[in-house]
Amino acid sequence: MIQFLNVSKFYDSDTVLKDVSLTVAKGELAYITGPSGSGKTTLLKLIYCAERPDKGRIVVAGWDLQKLKQGTIPYLRRNVGIVFQDFRLLFNKTVFENVALALRVRDAHPHEIKEKVTGVLKEIRLMHKADVFPSHLSGGEQQRVVIARAMVAKPTVLLADEPTGNLDAETSGTITDLFRAINARGTTVLIATHNDSLFHGTGRRVIHLKDTCVEKETVG
Amino acid sequence: MRTLIYSIRTALSSLWHERWINLLSVLSISIGLLILGVFIAVAFNMDSALKRWSKNFGLVVYLQEGLSSEAEEDLRVFFLKDPDIEGVKYISKEEALQELRRILGKNGSVLEGFESNPLPSSFELSLKDKSLEPPVVRRKAAQIKLLEGVEDVEYGEQWLSSLNALSGIMKFGVVFLGGAIFVAIAFITYSTVKILFYRRRDEIETLKLLGATRFFIRLPFLLEGLFVGISGGAVSSLALWGIYSLVLHKGPEYLPSISGFLVQLPLTAYVPALLAGAVMSFTGSLIAVGKIRY
Repeated sequence: MIQFLNVSKFYDSDTVLKDVSLTVAKGELAYITGPSGSGKTTLLKLIYCAERPDKGRIVVAGWDLQKLKQGTIPYLRRNVGIVFQDFRLLFNKTVFENVALALRVRDAHPHEIKEKVTGVLKEIRLMHKADVFPSHLSGGEQQRVVIARAMVAKPTVLLADEPTGNLDAETSGTITDLFRAINARGTTVLIATHNDSLFHGTGRRVIHLKDTCVEKETVG
Repeated sequence: MRTLIYSIRTALSSLWHERWINLLSVLSISIGLLILGVFIAVAFNMDSALKRWSKNFGLVVYLQEGLSSEAEEDLRVFFLKDPDIEGVKYISKEEALQELRRILGKNGSVLEGFESNPLPSSFELSLKDKSLEPPVVRRKAAQIKLLEGVEDVEYGEQWLSSLNALSGIMKFGVVFLGGAIFVAIAFITYSTVKILFYRRRDEIETLKLLGATRFFIRLPFLLEGLFVGISGGAVSSLALWGIYSLVLHKGPEYLPSISGFLVQLPLTAYVPALLAGAVMSFTGSLIAVGKIRY
């Protein structure tokens, strides 16, 4: 589902990723870990084309990103749900509208939007806050809304960048459970985290980045 | 269609949320269009006054001495058939003499020295509006002068040229001012849309990551610019209507000489401001969203 072949990325003279090769299979839930500055976020950005590689080849859900034109990027991103550490919710829109945005950009029918958003909000147990603005939600609730927004359009790949970075342990557990549930439906999930406790004892594959390179792969 | 509805709702919502900057743009646009509207109203009044004055303009065709009445009738029929000529009036030698005597009044005795009537008979020809262009009149006069039985042709060439020059200056003024205001309004909307775009860059960034196309992101801004332009046009049309109605009804009280000059503006005269506001603003928005890199 996700394939990196000798991918390198430089910012001016700084190397951010060097000769990275990795594969995440369809339906897999994998973790990327490493210290700050090891290239975790850049690796995710390369997957959703916020950055372009300077060297190497990336294939995501059958799309060869090297051949992808600027105008086609939105269509790739519709197959990739993204969960950010800083949430990126729109604070002038309600919870319902924030989640609905992922469907509106796809020109979905209002009935479909209502049905799917209601369904996903029930699933994350935030239906009662559908008409609430994000500023009135806790950090954990905001992150659940972000996950709802990422999963409502049923993407083939879900990326999460430090999804529990701002959350307490209990809330982190809830978020992790949500990712497992999403993965159980067949969505490939790739989570970047420096928090070991997130993958310890999960039995999932963990890709370790160190000094811009893939250091090793272990099982959590 | 759903994207359009969503974009309209987003644009209207942004109009309200960013109401101060949008209000400022609407007022700037309406002032620009109002200046243009006032200029067009003045030009319209001058043009209609010129047309009224031009009705009295014509060619005087002096006939040769001793021309037979059949030949005069032939010329009259010839003039009536001419598509450029609206009216034909025959002035006999006697009528010309009577008119001259009337003009001279008590000095009419100077005519008694003549043994016979020295004045020629003539035709006064009035031309159609479309033919009141100096080159057309000049050509027409030259053609008539070549006709058999015609002694001479006279017309107020300088007067006609002056009228046309004035009309030309007004038309040029409208085009020049219109062009300048077009650029100004496009620039106002361009700047407004750019500011709005940067104020919402976080939202745009999120939309991009969710898979929104450029069209989806840009359309609300284009529509917002369009709404600002239409609002500016509507405000300027209302203001022009108010000012013009006031001048029309109260103006002659303070400046009686303008009462014969002012005419009622047709309702259609207020529509171009709306359209101009829309087109100019849409152009500005189009350039703005086209130039923004994201």
